Amino acid sequence: MPVDTKRVRGPEVSQSPSLFLGRPVAVLPSSGPRADGRQRDQVDVRPVFVRCGLVSQAKGSAYIEAGNTKLMCCVYGPRETERKDETDMKCGRLTTDMRFAPFSCPERGSWIQGSQDKDFSLMLHESLQPAVCLHKYPRSQIEVNVMVLENSGSVLAHAITCASLALADAGIEMYDLVLGCSIRQDGASYVVDPSYMEENYSSSASSENQGGLTVAFLPSLNQISGLQSDGEMTEEILTAGVRTCIEGCYKLYPVIQQALAKAVRKAAPPPSES
Amino acid sequence: MSPMKLCVPGDKLCSVEDCIPGTGVYMRHGYIYSSLAGYVLRKNEGEELPVISVVRETETQLLPDVGAIVTCKVTSINPRFAKVHILYVGSTPLKDRFRGTIRKEDVRATEKDKVETYKSFRPGDIVLAKVISLGDVQSNYLLTTAENELGVVVAHSEAGAQMVPISWCEMQCPRTHSKEFRKVARVQPEYLQA
Amino acid sequence: MAAGFKTAEPLEYHRSFLKENCRPDGRELSESRTTTLNIGSISTADGSALVKMGNTTIICGIKAELANPTVEAPGKGYIVPNVDLPPLCSSRFRPGPPGEQAQAASQFIADVIESSEVIKTEDLCIDRGKLCWVLYCDMMCLDYDGNILDACIIALLAALKNTQLPEVTINKETCAPEVNPEKRCGLHIHKHPVGASFCVFDDSILIVDPTAEEESLSTAQLTVVTDEEGRLCSLHKPGGTSLSGEKLQECISRATARQREIQKLIDKVIHSVKTAQ
Repeated sequence: MPVDTKRVRGPEVSQSPSLFLGRPVAVLPSSGPRADGRQRDQVDVRPVFVRCGLVSQAKGSAYIEAGNTKLMCCVYGPRETERKDETDMKCGRLTTDMRFAPFSCPERGSWIQGSQDKDFSLMLHESLQPAVCLHKYPRSQIEVNVMVLENSGSVLAHAITCASLALADAGIEMYDLVLGCSIRQDGASYVVDPSYMEENYSSSASSENQGGLTVAFLPSLNQISGLQSDGEMTEEILTAGVRTCIEGCYKLYPVIQQALAKAVRKAAPPPSES
Repeated sequence: MSPMKLCVPGDKLCSVEDCIPGTGVYMRHGYIYSSLAGYVLRKNEGEELPVISVVRETETQLLPDVGAIVTCKVTSINPRFAKVHILYVGSTPLKDRFRGTIRKEDVRATEKDKVETYKSFRPGDIVLAKVISLGDVQSNYLLTTAENELGVVVAHSEAGAQMVPISWCEMQCPRTHSKEFRKVARVQPEYLQA
Repeated sequence: MAAGFKTAEPLEYHRSFLKENCRPDGRELSESRTTTLNIGSISTADGSALVKMGNTTIICGIKAELANPTVEAPGKGYIVPNVDLPPLCSSRFRPGPPGEQAQAASQFIADVIESSEVIKTEDLCIDRGKLCWVLYCDMMCLDYDGNILDACIIALLAALKNTQLPEVTINKETCAPEVNPEKRCGLHIHKHPVGASFCVFDDSILIVDPTAEEESLSTAQLTVVTDEEGRLCSLHKPGGTSLSGEKLQECISRATARQREIQKLIDKVIHSVKTAQ
């Protein structure tokens, strides 16, 4: 096995103390109110805190906090492309990178980007690309970097929102903002904007209709740019889920608009009308 | 005056019948939408309809475009061309550096075949140039200095002092009084102060 | 034109400020940037801290795990510090494995931990020869504007002070460890090392707490780490121009002053977190 010489290494094996708990982890019930007091089967998203323009080095940046889920996004570019091919000559390239800090999850993560991070990066790319006016940036690339500082569920959905906010903060031309929302279907009932526990430790008696769904939505154009679903759901449940997610996105929209307006106002007073 | 309207990407601003789209906006299904987060600006330019644009605090023109005057720093030279880093587009600094190339035949307008690159530029020189092409897959931005106003504006002599231009093709070191060849830009007073 | 001068001749631009005994951001030569600290913001970590020094932002999260001690040191645990400079924090870093600077910073932090004895690895032993704690201390840069070493040390120290480890008992019958997450206790911090970094301009001008731009233009860099008793824990000067003994002495006395300042800040923040609870 190759040895990682570029980091300070610890022992070869170490285990999380949560493996040695005296009692097993409680499984969340699939009915009744949710652990954080929100309502089941309703579009009850966590209140979000958003801020733009925190990172001095980046062209644009955004930070989002929903419950305990905390993540930030920086946008760099447009800059010269590293790889060149024919398609870059007419329109720009969007690159996305999403990573989890090692301390962001209840179990310590590895330093090396796992397959989940790569899946998320790809999903983020698919969700954002339709919204960015890439033809305005020939020969150049726009880099979107997302770092998850604390994972308390629905990271992909919030990463999408955060990234579109950072792109707008960077002054990258876009057709629309992109908002993300996810649900977790558990039998006949569902929870919107699930927490980490709800994503990973809920199980009900029925094995049907178990799954998660994340939707990326362009609110002004009323279009879906990304959809990711796992698990098994019937067609009706899935379409109902998509509708619920869109509703969740609309709840987020005014908060995001205000945050952006605040960032614009902070950056400069209105130019004189002359 | 009412406070200026703010908008975010995707905001519907008006119908195409009311305004002419300017910068930072796009058209879709007969309406004008914003593509930037910024202030909505309506300008009457003598035409019938006002021009609607979305503006931000910083210049939104972020990329060197054909015809733009750029300020660049020479990084290397060889007999066929000089390689430069583009620092400014007009008066807007670029956050990221873009590379450009000034080919031998684009150094000056006359006697193109007699141009010698190392008698025109040296690494470290600050050069004003104009973008002539975005280049192709292999090449970078192609630039030209074949105008009187374009060429070297700041250069250091071998002794390390900043040189003073004495003609269109020579600069002199104030310390050693030695002369060096450059493709000098026509002296513009504001560049001498620095 | 001033902006043009800055991009075209950054070194001359900085020199013109230094001549007047000030810096482009308005600071004096010996002035540090405003330092703010936020402790315990990451609930998934066993200890965490976020430090901002001017624009430079470092977040440190500590995760504790259980492991077997080595045969050579059966009574000791592990501390595994790593500094990450992700592409998010500055356009100068590319994605992929840690670059030279991140590796050097990680090693420097590891050296500081060892030489300062901020934590005794003996304290991390649970059952001699069988079980001990591993503290994974991950320092991540979120905004790179110079002087990350100082910020990393502050973040690490504050996060260590914030760390609460669950109680572990060894079941006599099964010899398996049992973790009680309800009962937690803090780490014993023996020393409080704090760093102070300097940049040397033109072989003689010394500036404190450099920004990224100042770092790249300077002729030498220097980091001095001292603890609360004014003892020197580490002195790091990776190459560059030489420095006179007097100047070095000046750096060390500045570093001890900085140590007192930062320790006061950490105590104040920890106190305010406690009273808020």
